[in-house]
Amino acid sequence: MTLKEKIESNRFIVCGEIGPPQSCDGDVIRNKSKHFKGYVDAVNITDNQTAIARLSSIASAKILLDEGVEPIMQMTCRDRNRLAIQSDLLGAAALGIRNVLCLTGDHQKFGDHPEAKGVFDLDSIQLIATVATMNRGFLLSGFEMKKAPAFLIGAAANPFAEPFEMRIIRLHKKIQAGAHFIQTQPVFDLELFIRWMQRVVEMGLHEKTAILAGVLPVKSVKTLLWMKEKVPGVKIHDDYINRMKQARDPEEEGVQMAVEIIQTLRGIKGIRGIHLMPALWESITPTIIKEARLDMTN
Amino acid sequence: MNTNEIPLPKGLVTVNDPPLTARERKFSRLLLFFEDIVKVPLFGCQHCGECVLSSTAFVCSQRCPKQLRNGPCGGTGDDGSCEVYPERTCVWYKIYFRSQLLNRMSLLYKINKVHNWNLQGTSSWLNVFRKRIEAPIWFVPHDEQKVKGLIADDAERED
Repeated sequence: MTLKEKIESNRFIVCGEIGPPQSCDGDVIRNKSKHFKGYVDAVNITDNQTAIARLSSIASAKILLDEGVEPIMQMTCRDRNRLAIQSDLLGAAALGIRNVLCLTGDHQKFGDHPEAKGVFDLDSIQLIATVATMNRGFLLSGFEMKKAPAFLIGAAANPFAEPFEMRIIRLHKKIQAGAHFIQTQPVFDLELFIRWMQRVVEMGLHEKTAILAGVLPVKSVKTLLWMKEKVPGVKIHDDYINRMKQARDPEEEGVQMAVEIIQTLRGIKGIRGIHLMPALWESITPTIIKEARLDMTN
Repeated sequence: MNTNEIPLPKGLVTVNDPPLTARERKFSRLLLFFEDIVKVPLFGCQHCGECVLSSTAFVCSQRCPKQLRNGPCGGTGDDGSCEVYPERTCVWYKIYFRSQLLNRMSLLYKINKVHNWNLQGTSSWLNVFRKRIEAPIWFVPHDEQKVKGLIADDAERED
């Protein structure tokens, strides 16, 4: 069953995430994929995340595909103009990659090449619309292709950044442009997330797209504090920080926290699945899946 | 849920229609001089030639470091600061609150087209006159009902 079929049927979706290495070592991805295979429905492959040059997301997605894991290729607008975006998408489709997550991309200032020219020829909403247009058989030039790709289109949403209502409008626009599923930023503030979901359900947006809530398991209080201070748009409730501070075994507490968040998320109306982002801690995925009783049935 | 039925926005890209002639470019430069006198001090115009000021409550979206024409990125701070230049206010934060103030919220739901870089540095007044780009929307009557309508329309389409 492909991710598309799973989204169309009404089952609970679990996605993972792998960051490619800053080298040409494909084995890094092969090894990481073992922690996800058989546990999750699909795995995101990040595209030069935080603007740091890495092994390309297309190549990494192909490696995952060969390992028998369904990839969700991330595509950002920071590094490519509309020509490169479309050609990369066609290349990905030819390699058998079926899912693409459309992002604007972090600003190059935050990465290892702050001197670089940021492209931003399209923005994420226009990118979604571009992929949707390609799915219908056309390029942005209006050229009709002999064979059209059939991408499942994903997009991101940040329920935690200001202004709150603008986030809903932006989600509305992404769905309007053609997003089939939405992955949110990691949830560390359930109160605010529930409020956001209530607005989403009120507007009926949850019926038009599959909303997958982000969950990020953390190993230590240091990671949490770093995220709170350095990662824009991430809100972390003080309860979590205190819990991690007082924990005897921070790793176990981190797993416990992730499991609790997943279980709460499962009970929220409109949530179709979760997106697990074990940044630099991929090996914990099977434990979390088992403890949260998300074990796969395929 | 059928994932194939989501409608596409019409006219995704601003195309070269009619194409800019050399003569028109010259004239455009002259017109831009006058456009600048108004738009640079008032809005910090970036000369994209494809002005969307009327849909962004008269705050120039091109001043965003990512030049986002369709809403803020995920990095707006709690105090409304820009993630790239924290000393600045996120332009989309301004756009949102100005739209609220001026009752222009329904325009925030509109998907702005992909920028035509051929028009960069040309006069958008001329481009509006030549119908390359959409004319500005000066008045938005019944803004609140329009927003409600936009949301209800989608609900209907789904049924």
